[in-house]
Amino acid sequence: MDKCIACGLCAEKCPKKVNNEYEEGLGKRKAIYVKYPQAVPLKYSIDAKNCIFLTMGKCQICEKTCPTNAINYEDQQKDITLNVGSVIISSGCKPYDPGEHDVYGYNKSKNIVTSLEFERILSSAGPYEGHLVRPSDKKEPTKIAWLQCIGSRDNHLGSNGYCSSVCCTYAVKEAMLAKEHSHDPLDTAIFYMDIRTHGKDYEHFYNRGKDESGIRFIKSKITNIDPDPETGTQIINYIDEAGIRQKEAFDIVVLSVGLCIGNEAIDLAGKMDISLDHYNFVTTNSFEPVKTSKPGIFICGAFEAPKDIPSSVIESSAAAGMAGIDLMDSRWSLTKTKEIPEEINVTGEAPRIGVFVCRCGTNIAGVVDVPAVVEMAKKLPYVEFAQENMFSCSQDTQDAITNIIKEKQLNRVVIAACTPKTHEGLFQETLTNAGINKYLFDMANIRNQCSWIHAKETQKATQKAKDLVRMITAKVALHESLKEPTLEIHQSGLVIGGGVAGIIAAKTLADQGYHTHLLEKEDKLGGQANNLYQTWQGEDIQSHLSAMIKSVKDSTLIDIHLNTEITNVDGFVGNFETHINKNGDTETLKHGITIICTGASELKPEEHLYGEDDRVITGLELDQKLLNSDEDLKSTNTAVFIQCVGSRIPERPYCSKVCCTQSIRNALKLKLINPEMNVFILYRDMRPFGLREDLYTQARTKGIQFIKFDFEQELEVTAENDQLQVLFSDTSLRRKMQIKGDLIILASSIVPEKGNKLAAMYKVTQNADGFFMEAHAKLKPVDCSTDGVFICGLAHAPKPIDESISQAQAAATRAVTLLAKKTMNMDGTIAMVNQEICSSCGVCVSICPFSAPSFTNEGRYEGKAQINPVLCKGCGLCVGSCRSGAIHLKGFDNNQIFAQIFAQNDETDNETQTCDKNKAGTENERNAAKATV
Amino acid sequence: MGNLLEHMGIERDRVHFSWISSAEATKFVDVVKEISDKVKGLGLNKKFVKDYN
Amino acid sequence: MSENKIKITSFLCNWCSYGAADLAGVSRMQYPADIRVIRIPCTGRMSPKFILSALREGADAVWVSG
Repeated sequence: MDKCIACGLCAEKCPKKVNNEYEEGLGKRKAIYVKYPQAVPLKYSIDAKNCIFLTMGKCQICEKTCPTNAINYEDQQKDITLNVGSVIISSGCKPYDPGEHDVYGYNKSKNIVTSLEFERILSSAGPYEGHLVRPSDKKEPTKIAWLQCIGSRDNHLGSNGYCSSVCCTYAVKEAMLAKEHSHDPLDTAIFYMDIRTHGKDYEHFYNRGKDESGIRFIKSKITNIDPDPETGTQIINYIDEAGIRQKEAFDIVVLSVGLCIGNEAIDLAGKMDISLDHYNFVTTNSFEPVKTSKPGIFICGAFEAPKDIPSSVIESSAAAGMAGIDLMDSRWSLTKTKEIPEEINVTGEAPRIGVFVCRCGTNIAGVVDVPAVVEMAKKLPYVEFAQENMFSCSQDTQDAITNIIKEKQLNRVVIAACTPKTHEGLFQETLTNAGINKYLFDMANIRNQCSWIHAKETQKATQKAKDLVRMITAKVALHESLKEPTLEIHQSGLVIGGGVAGIIAAKTLADQGYHTHLLEKEDKLGGQANNLYQTWQGEDIQSHLSAMIKSVKDSTLIDIHLNTEITNVDGFVGNFETHINKNGDTETLKHGITIICTGASELKPEEHLYGEDDRVITGLELDQKLLNSDEDLKSTNTAVFIQCVGSRIPERPYCSKVCCTQSIRNALKLKLINPEMNVFILYRDMRPFGLREDLYTQARTKGIQFIKFDFEQELEVTAENDQLQVLFSDTSLRRKMQIKGDLIILASSIVPEKGNKLAAMYKVTQNADGFFMEAHAKLKPVDCSTDGVFICGLAHAPKPIDESISQAQAAATRAVTLLAKKTMNMDGTIAMVNQEICSSCGVCVSICPFSAPSFTNEGRYEGKAQINPVLCKGCGLCVGSCRSGAIHLKGFDNNQIFAQIFAQNDETDNETQTCDKNKAGTENERNAAKATV
Repeated sequence: MGNLLEHMGIERDRVHFSWISSAEATKFVDVVKEISDKVKGLGLNKKFVKDYN
Repeated sequence: MSENKIKITSFLCNWCSYGAADLAGVSRMQYPADIRVIRIPCTGRMSPKFILSALREGADAVWVSG
């Protein structure tokens, strides 16, 4: 395996074709293969069941073609024993198989596919190369349908009772993508029970799909699907919202299959001795969402409950953090430190460039005439050495390059190979090992951006490769040794907001051994959780909350600051200085990282007689009544819940996520207090996502009435003759209805603080709804775009208490990854001001998105601009905007880019140009400057 | 920029701007093809080119 | 300049279009070999001078992509 360099020759020559599991069986792969192109590590492996040699004893073609002798037919499964202190299970889930109990005709028609198969059909790397076609006859479809809840929310044989949580959003995504892929207008329809787009910004996405992309959403029950073999279409028979039978034909039917737990995962849980629930999901409690029933074993991802990518990523950080707490004593005990040779100073030396042109097996050499490129490179100015390599990235070639650098005393290196985006770091390490600065290097991208994309144009590709090498060589000659600024990280954290998220974040930081300040603007900790009654699993919140508060009060590493406001913030990642005002006293806190969890509050509605009639209350007020065991509830005859008050409206277009579950749970509680009570829940879409669906099922069996009201028609609460009434339109009966009640509960939305001044202080952004934005919705769900600032809890998005807790643990863990480093190396390719030339115009100060430039306060260059190397991301915006030409971007400076521009012409012109380079540059600059003025 | 180029007698279609995310390989290819076609229509650039001879 | 050979100087943002170009390569999409890529850290780095000098150096077109 160490020898494989993933050139793919073996798979190219392998004579055996097998159905490709990754392509969901829609395409073929070879018996020697990588599972999918992005696989890590990228190593080919032999499928022993299908290998001709291993099954019949003849062939061995792969062994003959492999350039690095990496084929080992004798490789065996090995048992390995690892000694570990904690275990994290993230074995995930598997898609539901609709073919097993085939009620939808999945096995009968090729044009009935699962949502995962459809993903492959859409993929440009997929079996149809991204052309949207019908699998049966490769005809372009005009109509596609998605059927929701396949294998989910269904108690029939083989299906699962829970909601899979992710399918509504992915169906909207697939329908939108399909419309984009299609050349002709494509008709798309999603057949659903409830649209559950409860995640952050998912509701906006749903609205976009409906209003902008024109996806049809049909609330329906599917009777069956009849494939028509003659036309290749399938006829969907369904019962619409009004209870009328309908039928419609579609070219492709996509089954939105749910998530379920495979037998391997169940076996694993058995071996680990951790408990599973009745659906075989790992049982956790809401206050320790990543802890399994067995100490030291943690869980994250879809094996805990069906969940989307952001939630899985959040939980993975949380689980890593919890495991880290257990392992705190042994931190750094197994790490090895690498020895780095001393750097040779090359400043002032004439450039001695080494050019290495990679053949990459046949990947490059099959198209580009590599020897010709090398010959051309040898003639370039300052080039001391040029050669070709079979595989530049292999370990032995790395060592060889290191030796050549030393031997030929090279001080600049060009590697013409794949892309710097994946391999720059590797080759820079080679330079470091050879004792020269890693910035004296650049790459020419002659694979990804040349040989692979011009496979049939050998001549042009060779010419292009030559040009690219010449350009980058001209640039590299001007490269300088760069230093990476080092930054000490202040070993403490600041957590802003003392709600559940804040308490848990502070506790996690302290448990990892870091001193933490916990700020709360009110006079007590707990935030919104002080008003909450029970979790959806029926756990008591108040007792858990007081235990949590006690644990942070008892911690010697946590300083709690109540009644505290932040007045001003200085500094940046590693060295924040936050000025606070605590009951009139001012203080300055120093900290390396910041976690924002300022929460959100419940909307106080201005409609439905709220505030005028005390029988109209909000969801939280009902929680309060339940907490106080209010006697009035016993005598209530009819309770009506109204969902989505203040949510999913143009003013507040997001879903508040928690209210459906909260209403169902409280409705069940009311039924328990008074079984005779009539309980109605008026809703738009019921969204008890994931395992919460069980609660919904239970509520219906207990006689709680769920009525979908027409949102387009008015819903009104009146109090004529002191009798409360709700007037609304029923969507299935399609007529006006009224319910007389004596308690009306408004499931009011969660509102963040819009224009939160912390946003400006810590340079983080809030979205249009007023929630803080993460750096990346999927991959960095708790990091802010500003380094060293993290978010969690309701300030990030509406979410239930268990998700707030896992997100707080995740945010603290992400913060610990920074704190634990103690120092940070910043990138060397940053901007620098020549203060002699700076005209103090201030354009760079105002234009920089990262606030890196500022005016010098004192000294010889007072009033001139300076750039903080720690904040600078090296984008070059200031360089482009500087009127005086005073700012230089290391690694991408004007002369370096001009060198590339000037070097792009043919070899014949080459000599004149490079010699003339500097002169031409200045002349050109002058001309250009004149022209722009 | 466009005005300046036209003022200098350079065809507007010789300078292109676009925004492509790192996931949009298909769009990238489409844009390259589009620009390439447009420029082929214009032919070689003769104006404002530095004369080496 | 050799006949019939178009050259398009392309300034690609390291994080966006350069990534897209790599991905196009990984996906083996085929497109004209006319572009010459110069990697820049961000389109904010661009300056009109680069465009003018590229044209002056004989580029048949300039493409800036973020």
